[in-house]
Amino acid sequence: MNGSAPQPLTDALHKEFQETHKDVTVKYEVQQWNGIQDKLTTALAGNDAPDVIEIGNTQAPKFAAAKVLTDLTEASSGFNKDQWLGSLKDSGSWDGKQFAVPFYAANRLVLYRKDMFEQAGVAAVPTSRQEWLDAISKLRAKFGADPEFQALYLPGQNWYTLLSFIYDEGGDIAKRDGTKFTATLDSAQAKAGLEFYKTLQEASGTKAPKDTDEQTPEQAGIFGQGKVAMMIALPWELATAAKNNPGLTAQTSAFPIPSKNSGATAPVFQGGSNLAVPAYSKDQDLAKDYLKLLSGAKYQSQFAKAGMIPGTSTDVAALEADPVNAAMAKASRNGRAVPATPTWGAIEAGQNPLKDMLTAYLTGAKTIGVATADANSALNKAFAG
Amino acid sequence: MTATVDTVSPAAAPPRAARPHRRPAGRVAPYLMLAPAVVILIALLGWPALQVLGISFRRLDLGELVRGEVAWIGLENYRAVLSDPEFWVIGLRTLVFTAACVVATVLIGLGIAVLMRHLDGFVRVALQLALVLAWATPIIATTTVFQWMFDQRYGILNKTLVALGFDGFAGHSWFGSGASTMTVIGLLILWQAVPFVAFTLYAGLLSASKELYEAASIDGAGPWQSFRTVSWPAVRPLLTMVAFLSVLWDFKVFTQVWAIKQGGPDGDSTTLPVLLYLKGISGSHFGVAAAIAVLMLLILVAVTWRYLRLLTRSPETEL
Amino acid sequence: MKTRSQRVALNTAGLVVALLFFFPTYWMFTTALKKSNEILSPAYDLIPLSATLDNFVTAITKPGFTTFLTNSLIVTLGAVGCALAAGLLAAVPLARMRFAGRRGFVLLVLIAQLAPLEALFVPMYLIMRDADLLDTLPSLLLVYTAFTLPFTIWTLRGFVKGIPVELEEAAMVDGCGRWGVFRRITLPLLGPGLVATSVFAFVTAWNEFLYALVFMRDQSKQTLPVWLSSFRTAFGTDWGGVMAASVVYAVPALVFFLLVQRKLVAGSFAGAVKG
Repeated sequence: MNGSAPQPLTDALHKEFQETHKDVTVKYEVQQWNGIQDKLTTALAGNDAPDVIEIGNTQAPKFAAAKVLTDLTEASSGFNKDQWLGSLKDSGSWDGKQFAVPFYAANRLVLYRKDMFEQAGVAAVPTSRQEWLDAISKLRAKFGADPEFQALYLPGQNWYTLLSFIYDEGGDIAKRDGTKFTATLDSAQAKAGLEFYKTLQEASGTKAPKDTDEQTPEQAGIFGQGKVAMMIALPWELATAAKNNPGLTAQTSAFPIPSKNSGATAPVFQGGSNLAVPAYSKDQDLAKDYLKLLSGAKYQSQFAKAGMIPGTSTDVAALEADPVNAAMAKASRNGRAVPATPTWGAIEAGQNPLKDMLTAYLTGAKTIGVATADANSALNKAFAG
Repeated sequence: MTATVDTVSPAAAPPRAARPHRRPAGRVAPYLMLAPAVVILIALLGWPALQVLGISFRRLDLGELVRGEVAWIGLENYRAVLSDPEFWVIGLRTLVFTAACVVATVLIGLGIAVLMRHLDGFVRVALQLALVLAWATPIIATTTVFQWMFDQRYGILNKTLVALGFDGFAGHSWFGSGASTMTVIGLLILWQAVPFVAFTLYAGLLSASKELYEAASIDGAGPWQSFRTVSWPAVRPLLTMVAFLSVLWDFKVFTQVWAIKQGGPDGDSTTLPVLLYLKGISGSHFGVAAAIAVLMLLILVAVTWRYLRLLTRSPETEL
Repeated sequence: MKTRSQRVALNTAGLVVALLFFFPTYWMFTTALKKSNEILSPAYDLIPLSATLDNFVTAITKPGFTTFLTNSLIVTLGAVGCALAAGLLAAVPLARMRFAGRRGFVLLVLIAQLAPLEALFVPMYLIMRDADLLDTLPSLLLVYTAFTLPFTIWTLRGFVKGIPVELEEAAMVDGCGRWGVFRRITLPLLGPGLVATSVFAFVTAWNEFLYALVFMRDQSKQTLPVWLSSFRTAFGTDWGGVMAASVVYAVPALVFFLLVQRKLVAGSFAGAVKG
């Protein structure tokens, strides 16, 4: 899709592939993210199905479960399998078989303003929840007089962040039993995660709306206005924020989302893509060769250079060069995926019970017991399809 | 000179009974002239519609679609849809929403059309331009602008209300409840639907010849009476048609409802078209979606039944 | 006759309504002029605090803009033309002629308007696939014609009915052939009807997204709505760009309307009746 594999990578890859496979031309079609699900569905059903497709990791289970992807379990042993990123491996597997291979991933971290931390007397980046809250109070003490200041910009429906807190408590949003998933939002761990979200939100004095997520309004734009000390975001959001505030890049760095246990980093949700071969593609062997070439260290390292976590290589050295990417790489060792259920893609793109639960709880519309119970049953209903 | 008061109406008009119009060499001509339109309609609307009916009796998920499988499951899709209590809530919500939108659109459209008649050239063109811009702007832009205008923290509406002294609106969330969200959606739809209604009714009003208005005012009719005796008959049949079309469009509207809040919060702004999308394109359960589409069609026919009968039986369809 | 104060009152009302309707468009336009980090600001920004043309430049120079614009124009104007042609041809017999099965055709046109278009998505795709028309502009042209045809037929039928039969008969008595009658009497009097239907068809086809997205795979065949949604990338949305693009995008529709709206004026209609 637009913005995934960097162009130098694909150019070099296709050149090498075509050199080793005479008479083959690689037709590379970049799609947009908007409407990609419909595009994929119809492309697969069309007359000339593509041979290799990129699917978001939250979509992969759906296509795998529908049995429209080639089983790559055997072939994948030649794709650097021992270096695969765990979360992407999970999203590409279904019913014990591997239907999609990892491509690349990214996860969230906490972007922060070094200059504001310095002025507020926060000496070191927080490495535990308590230190995080302490940093927030110091920031508010120093800058709180400005009505536009926000120590941490945290909108109500940033459910990816909530996931981190739930994982950190040792819980999950669903448990897997073969191909069946049951929601576990009403567990004690999930509730604890939700409570911390509320604590964090209240402590930060954020002015972000409680009923929308981090893209409406776009949090990078708000960070770019210069009055926000921290935001939980993906690395590239800094570039977006700095577009009209170029000085911001030098002033910003990042740290992984702190765990409740001092010194550890909280597990993070990893968003990313898998690669798969449609079952009706006419060039299955060529497709597998392509994947083999792509999953080699040579090309995977280019992902790290471009600020993404490689899917089939553990070599993240290039990421360490930039402080923001380094934070992402550090957190990525603890990366998790959403439940690999076929309906997850639709849940995320549409009516997400986690978002509704967050808003209801944060605004006080529902108590924690009711909010989690309602979200649990909504999630179970959604899992059922 | 004939008064052309009954012009642009598909519904009842004074029957021109005495003169059946004969077209001499015309046994075949009507069919030939109708042919292109009918071919297009049947091939591109009729045939797919029949297929949707067929699909509603099949299980057609992603796998079956790609593999080209045909799995007949009878009325199972319908049973699943109709036994879900959510469906009835959503259906009722859709009907209420449609009714509200249609009434508002037609009334406001009529008001604007009448107003347009009485404006000076420059003001009228300004108004028409504003209307056309509202209508022609891409939906992605209009929905986003509306979301921004109503934003809890940064929206111009809340800021203005606070500036006017209504401090309670600082940080007020317009998307916190289903009813409030649907009102915002309704305003958006109204904004984009009124222009078409206004223009059509305006065209209808124009067709009432100037002499009639002059005659009415010479007879001493005030504005209200002249409206009642001249404008209203000119516009009434058009009104019915426009209301009919509005019912169809507002019932089926999807993009704006989805874009504003994806049917939330908590599914409280979900309408039938949204449900269709969730089951179909989003969830890839095309069989279930087809069943919902058929049900939607049945509801629409039921709601517009009287009008359909009126049209097909009335003297209008006679010559 | 209106008194002066009546006129002032009415014109003021007209301006107020115009301003109300114009406001969201105004907002879109000012956003296009803002820098991206000022789009959502806590300050009261009814009037933009600053202005820049960068977004417009970005929008127009985005790769593919002229290609997509051309594609959209081809598909839209083509659909409008086909819908008008087929629609007018169909409207005349339905309005004027007596023949067997006419009621059935009327019903067909009516029912065709009830179809929910998103539901027809799968069968339409399969039809185009089997006809090998996927990834070609004509496939969209046909689909858009089909979407706008029922409304076009119905409205034109109403307008045709509105033309007094006597006018046509008088012309025929005067020696005009049937085609001459059509060209000189019927067609000009259909002005407002043709305007209404063509603008409707134009806007419908111009803004359509789902089918354009799915039928076209080749980047060079995409239409503008798909291009517009490309501003929303995995890296966040360039809202200034989207709004600038939307402004640019609405312009052809506006131009089309301005070109045809003169026909909407009563003059041509009443004149023929009097004459």
